[in-house]
This record gives sequence, C-alpha cells and structure tokens, in this order.
Amino acid sequence: MLTLYRPGTGWLHRAPAGPKSFGLLLVVLAVSILPSTWLSAAVGAAVAVVCYLVSSIGMVELGRQVISLRWIIVVTFGFQVVFLPMESAVANTTRVVAAIVVAALLVLTTRVGDLLDAFERGLGVFRRFGLDPQRVALVLAVAITTVPVLARLAVGVREAQRARGARLGVRAFVIPFLVVSLKHADDLGDALTARGVA
Amino acid sequence: MTDQTLQSTPAKPAGRWHLDATDIARIAVFAAITAVLGLPGAFPVFGSVPITAQTLGVMLAGAVLGAWRGALSMVVLLVLVALGLPLLAGGHGGLSVFVGPTAGYLFGWIVGAFVIGAIVHAGGRRLTWPRTIVGVLVGGILVVYAIGIPVTALVLRLPLGPTALQATVFLPFDLVKAAITVAVTMTLVRAYPRAFRMRSRGRA
Repeated sequence: MLTLYRPGTGWLHRAPAGPKSFGLLLVVLAVSILPSTWLSAAVGAAVAVVCYLVSSIGMVELGRQVISLRWIIVVTFGFQVVFLPMESAVANTTRVVAAIVVAALLVLTTRVGDLLDAFERGLGVFRRFGLDPQRVALVLAVAITTVPVLARLAVGVREAQRARGARLGVRAFVIPFLVVSLKHADDLGDALTARGVA
Repeated sequence: MTDQTLQSTPAKPAGRWHLDATDIARIAVFAAITAVLGLPGAFPVFGSVPITAQTLGVMLAGAVLGAWRGALSMVVLLVLVALGLPLLAGGHGGLSVFVGPTAGYLFGWIVGAFVIGAIVHAGGRRLTWPRTIVGVLVGGILVVYAIGIPVTALVLRLPLGPTALQATVFLPFDLVKAAITVAVTMTLVRAYPRAFRMRSRGRA
C-alpha cells in the first residue's frame, strides 16, 4: 500500500523507530507550548527548518509539506486575523504549521513496518493490565491488509451498478458495499478461527 | 480503553471484554471501511461539493458494531494513521494530523462511535428508528463537535465562541451523513442481520 515514507539514508532514517518517535514528540510538544509572540513565531519556523536540514530530508521536502498544508494555513490564519491581533495570528499559525511539519518527519523517515514493531514493543508495558500486544498487532495487520481488499470491492460495487445503469447515489452505493465488506469480515473471522485465533 | 478490551487470557472463560476472531475481523474491517470511504471517488459527490464520506464510516461503525467494538475500530484506524498510513480523507496520515487543529475531531470519532453504539444498541434490544436517529445525532454530531471544537480552540488559542461558529459550516454535511447512516443502518438490519450479532443473544 502507498505510504508517506520517503526512502533515504540519513541518520534520522537509520535511527531506531521508538526513540525517534519519542524525540520528535518532545520537539513537537516544545514547539506547541511556545507563546503567541513574534519571537516564538521565528523560533517555531527556525526549529522546523533546522529539523529538516539536520535530518538531511532537505528544504525541498519541507516546502512540499508546507504546500500540502496550504488550506490549513489559509483557513487558520484567515480565521485568526478576524478575532486576534496580527502578532498572535502569525505566531499561532506558524506554531501549528511548525508542529505539523516536524511531526511529519517521523513517517517521512520511518517505514510503517518498523513503526508497527516499535508500537507493539511499546505496548508491552501494558501487559500487566491484561493487554496482549500480539493480539493488538494482529488486529492492526488484518486492518492494513483489508484496506486494499475493500477498495477493490468498492470499485466492483460501483462498476456493477454502472453496468446495470443504476443511478449512483450514496445510499445505493453504501448498502451493497457494507454487505460485501461485512461478508468479507465473516470470512476473515472464519479464517482466523481456522488458524487457531480464539 | 484498549487495556481492558483486548485482553486474551486463555485460562479465563470468554469474559465481557474478550474479543474472539469474529470481533477482531469486524473491528479490522470497519476500520478499513472507514478508510475506504475517505478515498477520493469512493462514491459520487453531490454536485461539485467534494464532501468526504469518512465520517459516515465513523457513524456506521458505532451503529453496526456497538459501543466497544465500534470505538475499537476507530482506535485501530487512528493507530494506523498515526503509524504513517495515509488513510484519512485526502490521503492525510502520520503523527502530524494529531497535532493539527482538527485533532480533536479524530479523538471525537472514538467517543462518538462508542456513544452511537451505546444508544443504538441500548439494552441489546432490536434496533428501532427513534433510538438510531437519537444515537447517530448525539454520538455522531454532538459528541464529535463537543470534543473537536474545544481542541481546535486550544490548538489555535482562539476563543471558544467563534470556533464553534466556524464549525457549524460543516453541520449541514454532517446532518446529511447522519440521515444516510440512519437509513443505511435500518436497511442493513434487514439486508444483513448477521452484522448486528448481539452479545445478549449468545454466540453461534
């Protein structure tokens, strides 16, 4: 499946997923609690630029990320200048955008599989509360593999309706899509049972 | 929430929070359904307004799966999103969506699906139109907005009033989706009753 990962060989790419998530979360948190002043707007923007430069992801990717956020920026800023002074509006918008692009570094530099493994390991601490990390990982893995299957089923439902010349309404699509999806769920449940998942 | 619900101690008889293989499959599949409903072109748009059908999946998860399993399917979806899969409408994903202004709505999906399931399936009785309508409106709109709006205000450091006013822009679309959810749920009861396998009736 398509992921947000960008292949690379920089030190952030090579860093283990668990500590990397933790470190980036700390940076995001620090950026998020900056006060709403001109200075913190500059600090927020600088942190984002430094993060992208030192992680060898580069300014091109940073530019791409900011452009993908253009609507959030426009709505956020436009809405704030109405109610807040210019300084707060600029600082708040910069702060939010900086937090978002720094957080994006995690998925840009880490494969989903590695994050999944780190997540499963991290859940180990909840074992004493009766949580089974392997069961959680199983649910996640089943969900990941199911998305492309259902996307195909959705296309099938639409094409079948088009072939019959049916008018394409939301209800007319959702009901057959849900029925085939839930049938798939039942088959999946039987398959899991057959493989010893109680 | 997941701490209690995903336990699997084989020695213990299947408790109230035990998830069997069918539950796992349903939870995973509803997370996937919600993801697929957010794909572009998953179904035709009204006129030229590109609305996302993703919240339709949120409402349906609660209405069909019930409180706990519906909420868990949303947890599964959001964990996958956090781990970097672009499953939110518009191909968004990654940790960044949880620090943006709309993060509260995502957490609202979990609580919203739970509340919908709790009201729609109240007491394990048969689904009725009034209870389904109330459940979808309260859980799918009221609860989601009640969590989403304060988080937006907090992230953007805006006063609560104007933020709430801004959020009402989406209300008409959400009301349409609530209406579709109710109609689809009540049709699904007849079209595929197995989907509503209730705990109180015992397991096959």
